[in-house]
Amino acid sequence: MLLLDYILGRLAQMVPVIIGVSLIAFLAIHLVPGDPIQIMMHGRATPETLAAAHAKLGLDRPLLIQYGRFIGNAALGDLGTSIIQNAPVSGIVGEKLGPTVFLLVFSSILAIVIALPLSLLAARRVDRAADHAIRLVGIVGFAMPPFWVGILLMLFFGIYLDWFPISGFGKDFIDRLWHAVLPSATIALFLAPILIQSLRASMLDVLTADYIEVARAKGLGEWRILVKHVLRNALIPVVTVLAVNIGWLLSGAVVVEYLFSYPGLGSLLVRAVGYRDYPVIQGLSLVFAVLVIVVNLLADLSYMLIDRRVLTS
Amino acid sequence: MSPISPRILAGAALALGLLAAGTATAEDIKRGGTLILARPDEPLTFDPLIPGDNGSIYAIEQVCDALIEADDTGLGLRPGLAESWEVSADGLTYTFQLRDAKFSNGDPVTVEDVVYTLTALAKPDTYLGFILKPVKAITAPDGKHVKVELSAPYAPLLSALSVYASSIIHKKTHEADKEKFGTAPMCAGPFAVEKFERGSTVVLKANPHYWDIGADGKALPYLETVELRYVPESNARVLGLRNGDYDVISTVAFNQAKSLENEEGLVLESTPIFRLDYVYLNHTKKPLDNKNIRLALNYAADREAILKAVYFGYGEVPNSYMPKVNFHSDAVPLIPYDIEKAKALVAEAGYDGTPIQIMVDTGNAPFRQVATILQEGWGKAGLKSEIVEFDVGTAWTMTTKGEHGAYVSYITSDINDTDELATIQADFNGGAQAFFSWYDNKEVAQLLSDARSSLDPAKRGEIYAKIQEIVYNDGYSVPLNFAPVVNGLHDHVKGWKQLANGWWWLQKVWVDK
Repeated sequence: MLLLDYILGRLAQMVPVIIGVSLIAFLAIHLVPGDPIQIMMHGRATPETLAAAHAKLGLDRPLLIQYGRFIGNAALGDLGTSIIQNAPVSGIVGEKLGPTVFLLVFSSILAIVIALPLSLLAARRVDRAADHAIRLVGIVGFAMPPFWVGILLMLFFGIYLDWFPISGFGKDFIDRLWHAVLPSATIALFLAPILIQSLRASMLDVLTADYIEVARAKGLGEWRILVKHVLRNALIPVVTVLAVNIGWLLSGAVVVEYLFSYPGLGSLLVRAVGYRDYPVIQGLSLVFAVLVIVVNLLADLSYMLIDRRVLTS
Repeated sequence: MSPISPRILAGAALALGLLAAGTATAEDIKRGGTLILARPDEPLTFDPLIPGDNGSIYAIEQVCDALIEADDTGLGLRPGLAESWEVSADGLTYTFQLRDAKFSNGDPVTVEDVVYTLTALAKPDTYLGFILKPVKAITAPDGKHVKVELSAPYAPLLSALSVYASSIIHKKTHEADKEKFGTAPMCAGPFAVEKFERGSTVVLKANPHYWDIGADGKALPYLETVELRYVPESNARVLGLRNGDYDVISTVAFNQAKSLENEEGLVLESTPIFRLDYVYLNHTKKPLDNKNIRLALNYAADREAILKAVYFGYGEVPNSYMPKVNFHSDAVPLIPYDIEKAKALVAEAGYDGTPIQIMVDTGNAPFRQVATILQEGWGKAGLKSEIVEFDVGTAWTMTTKGEHGAYVSYITSDINDTDELATIQADFNGGAQAFFSWYDNKEVAQLLSDARSSLDPAKRGEIYAKIQEIVYNDGYSVPLNFAPVVNGLHDHVKGWKQLANGWWWLQKVWVDK
């Protein structure tokens, strides 16, 4: 019951956060100059056409009323209609949500696969050459802009070695995995250094803890110590880092999707902003907000699975 | 007025088309297969009545045919769904005879479809409706003919009827669900839309009922499938071409073109199109309201340097305020790069030091470079300027509201008749405040009206040359480059043709692999 109360409480907290995020996104995009009808008509819309189109879309109403209408409809599951594509926003966003989630999950897994062994190595060889090398490479990796890293990966693995496709989404699951390798690697190379940093620190704590000495004294093999004690304790920072960085991940996805022509929410957002397609931008900001909140909620819940003490505290 | 026979014109255009097709012999041609074309834009809609963006227009051109079509260079016209046409002696009535053509679902193209389409287009609230402004009535005297009556002679009519917006649409499908028509159109072009995945791909399948015949005597198109991939990032297109992901990439960035030039198995082509890159000037803003200042900006613009540094030599220094369309005159002398002359003009204008704002779209590195070169030259002439960046939506909206000073941008023509852009750009009452310059020259407006109503091409040519000379030397804008389009393709792509109107002639493309 405690758990259920907790989840319900957290879900209730979502409401003001979502209203806040969507209001800020709504005001920001309406404060920027630019008119969707004028952009679509390349400036050739007559004042009458413009007024008629605005009236039809409700863009002539006061901003707060427009916002109220948007959030009211959104609560009922209706995100409005795209001005540019003339189709329901929920459908457009839903269609692109899958690829983006796929990309984010894949890049998180890749980042963990890269970060776990490296941070373990760094922790075991602390302050020795390997440790310094890993930390240096990490800093360099973190400092490189994803856009540029993406192009380098395209050139090397896409053109020179010709191992992976450099654009598109793929047809079936395997093909999609295949298409997602380079974009995911681009995100993972950005994410992994952050993971390595916190993983190394927490592993150092664990490796020097008394109970590890006890375990060793009891004759437990190094492998078992690693899996049973070190990795388990290291998982919490991994989850935290991933959850805290979900916002960053989403913004990274925007750049990477654009670069790799990956049909996800990121490239949709870029186009929608360019065209001032208000309903799509609003719908996306709502989806992004929900995504960030839900991921953080899941992260908190997963702490309980990893470490029961969190629940009782 | 010297009456010319449109039948002869049509015949000549057809003969030219056949000649061009004659380069591939019937034995060579391999039918079937898929062509994958990567481009920087994607369609917003396939409804020809709605869009004004190249993403939509170029795709619609593959799917829809009009009564008259651009030929395979884009510079001339050829019969499309109309087999032939006749013009009355007073130039006020055009009668089109329909061909036995079919929509991609097998339905015949009827006079009802034609009347429905053109009537819908002629409504003033459609994007290109103004091109049919002089049209008084569109009727069908019988089941084979469509009559277009004009309120005044209108020379650009045939060109107007060849534009994408004039594409004949299937009345029943369009009437039933206009929204759905945007993603699942029903037209009578060489291809039909099979799948439209927004944000990534449009899959086109050959229209089995297409009316035109290939060099092998069978119906066009040669290709079975065309995939139009949406790849907005220029680098990604180039890498994808090298990688073999794409057969053709459209719009290679000029700074990346050289790297493809000598690559084995790849072909790089640069084609002049109806495009002019130029600096929009707002004639209501100080100091741009002074003609001498505007001319000084032109004299102090080092266009050769821009052509070399920004365009890597691709293009041509322009001698006009508008793109090179059919009545372009080469005789108008260039305004040279002459700092001394510019200084004299600035002095004459009594310049008070008001800085000129040069606006550039955020992220457009080439235009940013242009702005820097211009700023340097203008500075030498004693003109102060500052560069500002706005994202393209903001910049464009500011321009339409007249909040800009100088804006580095471009214009393209969808139609091979000078009238469209000349009117939009230089006629204050052409619908867009002389394309947001607020340029108002009564003499030019009168000349434009004369040219529009004259049916004598020689006379029209003379008038447009005069307009070009006047507007260019009024310092209407700062023209930068007749920028071409550069495409990259694999050498297994045969019969590829980039049209001057911007799109591609895919119906005679075939793949040899």
